[in-house]
Amino acid sequence: MNGFLQEFIAIDLPALAAALLALIACGTLGNWLVLRKESMTGDAIAHAVLPGLVAGFLVTGSRSVTAMFAGASIAGVAAIMLAGWVRKRTRLEPGASLGVVFTAFFALGVALLESQGARQIDLDPDCVLFGSLETLFLVSVHDKPWYTTLPHELWTLFAAAVLAIGFSVLFMKELALLAFDRNHARQTGSAPRVLESLLLAVTSACVVASFEAVGTILVVALLACPALIASPHARSVRGQIAMSLVAGSALTVAGYAMAAFAPKIFGAPSALNAAGMIAVLLAIAVPASHMLRAMLRGA
Amino acid sequence: MNAPSLAATGLGANTVLVLLGCGIFGALAGAVGTFVIARRRSLIADVAGHAALPGVCLAFLAGEALHIGGRTPWLLLIGAACTALLAAWFVPWLTRRFAIGADGATAVSLALFFGLGAVLLSLVQSHESGSQGGLRRLLFGSAAATSSADVKTLAALAFVTLVALALLFKELSLLAFDEQHARTLGFPVRSLDLLLTLLLVATVVAGMQLAGIVLVVAMVITPAAAARFFRGSIARVTAIAACLGAASAVCGVLVSLEFEHLPTGPAMTLSAAGLFLVALLATTRGRAEAVQS
Repeated sequence: MNGFLQEFIAIDLPALAAALLALIACGTLGNWLVLRKESMTGDAIAHAVLPGLVAGFLVTGSRSVTAMFAGASIAGVAAIMLAGWVRKRTRLEPGASLGVVFTAFFALGVALLESQGARQIDLDPDCVLFGSLETLFLVSVHDKPWYTTLPHELWTLFAAAVLAIGFSVLFMKELALLAFDRNHARQTGSAPRVLESLLLAVTSACVVASFEAVGTILVVALLACPALIASPHARSVRGQIAMSLVAGSALTVAGYAMAAFAPKIFGAPSALNAAGMIAVLLAIAVPASHMLRAMLRGA
Repeated sequence: MNAPSLAATGLGANTVLVLLGCGIFGALAGAVGTFVIARRRSLIADVAGHAALPGVCLAFLAGEALHIGGRTPWLLLIGAACTALLAAWFVPWLTRRFAIGADGATAVSLALFFGLGAVLLSLVQSHESGSQGGLRRLLFGSAAATSSADVKTLAALAFVTLVALALLFKELSLLAFDEQHARTLGFPVRSLDLLLTLLLVATVVAGMQLAGIVLVVAMVITPAAAARFFRGSIARVTAIAACLGAASAVCGVLVSLEFEHLPTGPAMTLSAAGLFLVALLATTRGRAEAVQS
């Protein structure tokens, strides 16, 4: 039992903490994206940060968090601005212009990653897609105090979660106005364009911070699903954000448990992909939550 | 079978076959893409592409369970087609049935199907111990690792789909570019929509091994978007899209054969993006000069 507990603290607890911190960061901001009907912008950012991440590594030649972070944030913001420019120029549907740009960015990232120069980064395309919750967090719990052996991703994620919550609380009123009535926001002089750019930058930063640990697929799920689970039940924006975080946390813990422990119980040889399992549970919960709302209304 | 030896043989018989197969797939993707974009289904194409993954994994597991071998090609194709079709139906179902916007429905479907794919892939990988690559290769595509038998099958599938598209060209044009008119003329709009979805799924499945599951959508969207810069009838724009698609596919394969670590999917996507950029810059400059003179 003691061995099990040690294994849990060394392997599962850091992974679970990373997933929950990513949920707080992306889930909070996801509420604004969903209200603004921009969920797929989050998807585009999650793909577009990759070349910046790899370029940051290639330029500095080290796995420096700052360089990779800066590169990825620049790539994310650049991709969204480029997509907007392409849409204006071509009058393509928004989905098509977004698709052209983010697939090109992602392809560039994979190409850089697969080329010889980037082989030293211990980040392979599989991790990019599916996350590395299972492998990144093998902490040695020996004589050092626990907080010095924590993987750096946890600190980055913690900062991202604080940033997302702080930004949302600080600009709650302005963001809500922006989401519900952009014209009114402009007329009352709250500079919607500045706030929109700020939201984009903060979202990019949080996506980058989450990306390495949980992968693109879970980032996409975290940006859209918690907010959509909460939206049919919420009466205020504040309530929706709170509800999305509570429901999202419960599903994240459940998804992780299903991926990590269920196969062992059934005698399967290895654990399943945790990021994928959490994404599936979050996605299923969206129509389930809407159905529940309809049933409550009917009763 | 593996990339280096194929590249070393230069333009061997297999390379010519692969190039031809990719060319046909690229032409199909470009042509289908024209209608997908006009019908505003670009991001549904993204979901359908990603949704092939759980289908492939399920087919693999079924093949293992039935003792006919996990990597039975026709079984993998059917599995991919089933889940891709399910996903293409799931996105509009979410928006119709619940108060969820198109963007949210797309993201939720992507999370559901690709997340399921991730889970099933980890299950498959615990089965196929020892075999390098395997299904994982399907993520980013590998034209060099595709056997000549597979290329023939895929090229045949792509060709049949292309012929079907040509036969139904008039109906699809009306649906995609003038839905109101199509309704007034009494065209079965819903059946035609289903048909377009089937063509899209066939394209995704045909391109899965060559362009890869993750980036196959780029071959559908990008050449077709680039063709929009050219003026002319729908038939002309579709033909240009098909040519651009074939060119990006062939170019992508040649580049990925040259650099052995570069998977085919990203190479094709970058080729298509390059063509898109050239078309964008060329036409905006041309228009600016026309305005000035």
